[in-house]
Amino acid sequence: MDVISCQGLTKNFGRIKAVSDLSFTIGQNVITGLIGPNGAGKTTLLKIIAGFTRPSSGKVTVFSENPFNSLKVSANMIFVDEHMKFPSSLSLAQIMSAAPAFYKNWDMGLAKELFAYFSLNPGQRHHHLSKGTKSTFNMIIGLASRCPLTIFDEPTAGMDAGVRKDFYRALLRDYLQKPRSMIFSSHLLNEAEDILEDILLLQAGQKRLHLPVTDLKEFAVALRGKKEVISELTAGQEIYHQKNIGKEHSYAVIRRDAADGLLKKSAAAGIEILPVAAEDLCVYLTTRNRGGIDHVFDRNQSF
Amino acid sequence: MVLDMVGDKPVYIQIAEWLENEILGGDIKENEKVYSQYQLAEMFNINPATAARGINILAEQGILYKKRGLGMFLAANAMEKIQHKRRNYTLKKLVEKVVVEARRLGIDEEELLGIMRQAGKELDE
Repeated sequence: MDVISCQGLTKNFGRIKAVSDLSFTIGQNVITGLIGPNGAGKTTLLKIIAGFTRPSSGKVTVFSENPFNSLKVSANMIFVDEHMKFPSSLSLAQIMSAAPAFYKNWDMGLAKELFAYFSLNPGQRHHHLSKGTKSTFNMIIGLASRCPLTIFDEPTAGMDAGVRKDFYRALLRDYLQKPRSMIFSSHLLNEAEDILEDILLLQAGQKRLHLPVTDLKEFAVALRGKKEVISELTAGQEIYHQKNIGKEHSYAVIRRDAADGLLKKSAAAGIEILPVAAEDLCVYLTTRNRGGIDHVFDRNQSF
Repeated sequence: MVLDMVGDKPVYIQIAEWLENEILGGDIKENEKVYSQYQLAEMFNINPATAARGINILAEQGILYKKRGLGMFLAANAMEKIQHKRRNYTLKKLVEKVVVEARRLGIDEEELLGIMRQAGKELDE
């Protein structure tokens, strides 16, 4: 059964299309990574799914309902981000003791153990926490609520490397204990990659890719070798990324299935075939200029 | 074992190879239950779907078989199947790479055999 389904989803802010004609479905108990550069529409999409805002057009259903003003969605979903607000008069300990009233699956044992593990101070107020500590506390709320749909928007903002690693580990272990649908957004795949099942890659409000992470890693290959040979081999194909190496060599990223027929030919022509890291591919797929940042400098060089 | 997350080899293939090594090492016996996708996910800190893909590779090759509702079990002759596959494919490929590198360095067959014997001795020590 699909937990989330979007059809032709569009959200305009004035003349700007934050989300544009987006269609996809997310199945039950899948961990999905929502990846895209700044301004790709990640947060807007998540807020529509959470029922915080209404789309300008198109259709969205969560647990088979329109999430906007839906009690069912509110009761079964948690949206964690750095702007999470809690009553300023409550201490962290009081927030936690109030949580079971809002989340019926709340796991107090887990919440308390995570709280102690990360050495949080029960008497502190939420709005006095540093950015990283706030993210850590919000993450505890997000995990311990054990909502059938758990959404994390940039959950690791401000966390140090150690806490980030612990967060991903905690997320996976808790998911293994109680499988549920999770989405979390990030600019980068980085450490999250291995615990994801699917990835939804956005660019300029549109879907670029939606597929299992294991497929993403095999989606593209890079060819490296003599410039003329590469341009001959890749003629007529979509090149995701290309750069020159010195004067005579170049490096080009193309789809693996397009490359399959070329593999034998390439090897014979002395072209190396290299895998492309999932994270690099995401960057290539969402960069407007396929020459990347080098292009800016190369154009401005007088020699 | 720690998985190589940045290398060329997909994680699910590393999982399949790790299971094969466990089988070759005699840690799992014929008709015994093997690790579940959830156990592997926890052990290697990966999504259980990725772990399942590794397990499925071995199931497709007849090294594991499924008992409905009970999980995956080690097939009879699994050890021979793995040895046969590794000998005719994995080892062959590795040797090819070694030979290519040796040629690039102008090392002749005699010298290469010497290097291999030496490596064997060092491993034995």
